[in-house]
Formats: sequence, C-alpha cells, structure tokens
Amino acid sequence: MKMIRAIVRPEASDAVTEGLEEAGFFSLTKINVFGRGKQKGITLGSVHYDELPKTMILAVVDDKSVDEVIKIVKYKAYTGNFGDGKIFVSPVEDAVTVRTGEHGL
Amino acid sequence: MKEVIAIVRPKKVSATKEALELLGFPGITAAAVLGRGKQRGIAAEVSFAIEPELLSKGRSGGMKFVPKRFLSVIVENEQVEKIVNAIVKINQTAQVGDGKIFICPIDDAVRVRTGESGNPALN
Repeated sequence: MKMIRAIVRPEASDAVTEGLEEAGFFSLTKINVFGRGKQKGITLGSVHYDELPKTMILAVVDDKSVDEVIKIVKYKAYTGNFGDGKIFVSPVEDAVTVRTGEHGL
Repeated sequence: MKEVIAIVRPKKVSATKEALELLGFPGITAAAVLGRGKQRGIAAEVSFAIEPELLSKGRSGGMKFVPKRFLSVIVENEQVEKIVNAIVKINQTAQVGDGKIFICPIDDAVRVRTGESGNPALN
C-alpha cells in the first residue's frame, strides 16, 4: 500500500478528484494547506506572497495503482506554469476500517 | 516508530482524545479535512430514507465530500496495536463513514526544544 499526497492548485482539485473518480479511485481526503516551492512564493508587483494556498489530496492505494494515480494527477493538475504542485508517495504498512475493524483497504 | 493516521468523525474527536490521553498518548496533531470513501460521499450517512425515485436519478448533487477530522499520532512500534484498537473501539458506530486508520513507517523524530532524537523525543 502507498500513500499518495498530491499538492495541487485549489482550482484544479475538483478536476483531479473527478478524474480519479472516473478511474475508480473514490476514496480520498482533501486538506487546504499553505506552502511554497522552489520559486519561494510569488511576487506580484511590489507584493511578495511567501506562502500560497494549495490543496493536498491524500489517497491510499495499492502498490500496483500508484503509477495510474500519478498519471491522472499529473494530467489533470497540469497548466505548464510554476506552482502546479508536487506529488509525494510514501509507504503505508497497514490500513484499518474503523466500522468493521478489518485490516487492508 | 510508526505514524498512526486516523480519519474519524468530527463528533468523536473529543472522546478519542480522552481515550488516547488515558492510554498515555497526549500528543496528537489534528486537522479539519474533507474526504470520502467507498460510498462516494454522504450517500448512507443521512438518518432518514431517501425516496427511490430520487436515488434513481443518479448523482442528486448531494455532498461529494464529508467533513472529517484527521488525527496523526507518532508512537513506538510496540504500541501501534494498542492505539489502533482503542481508536477502533471508540469510533465504531456501525454506520458507514466511521473512518480509516493508516499506519506508516517513520524513520526519525526530533524534539525541537532539546534536540534529542529517536524514541526519547516521543515521550
């Protein structure tokens, strides 16, 4: 199992979640976060924005689905400009469904 | 060291916090999040019956995402089972939407105040 954390533009989050839904990945969690990347925020005129609002989409999927999810997020969140976001993949050892106490996804 | 991530109902957070405190895990990180699971939104989370003709219209514009609380606790390896069992027991309501728990490996932890790392940083 892998946890995929995709940090994308807030306006792209709907496109990403709908894209994932079409591909059969319904389960996910969204968090509104603030962050910055390599460009150290953004400067518009004389105003410098240090941290920019982003949406973090968190999904735990089977190992074999990781590539597909990354492909969908990459395609749906793409604008070609700085600030499209990042995708992180980290290992998950176990998942538990609270209602039933079952292990596994 | 493991990170236990629990995504639970907002109204169960205080009960969960109390239980974790009794077990000796006072330190948690919480965030308000939106999410959905296998039921694709709020589907079965209402307490009244939905008319079948409304259901047959398909997506009736109901809530796509359900508000949840995201709790993260970092614990030592041997305590994972204890904490998972406690969270499961407290949060069970027998209805869909009780949440999920994920267990992820953590390589190291550092306490900022003292600079100590590893397991001593957790306690």
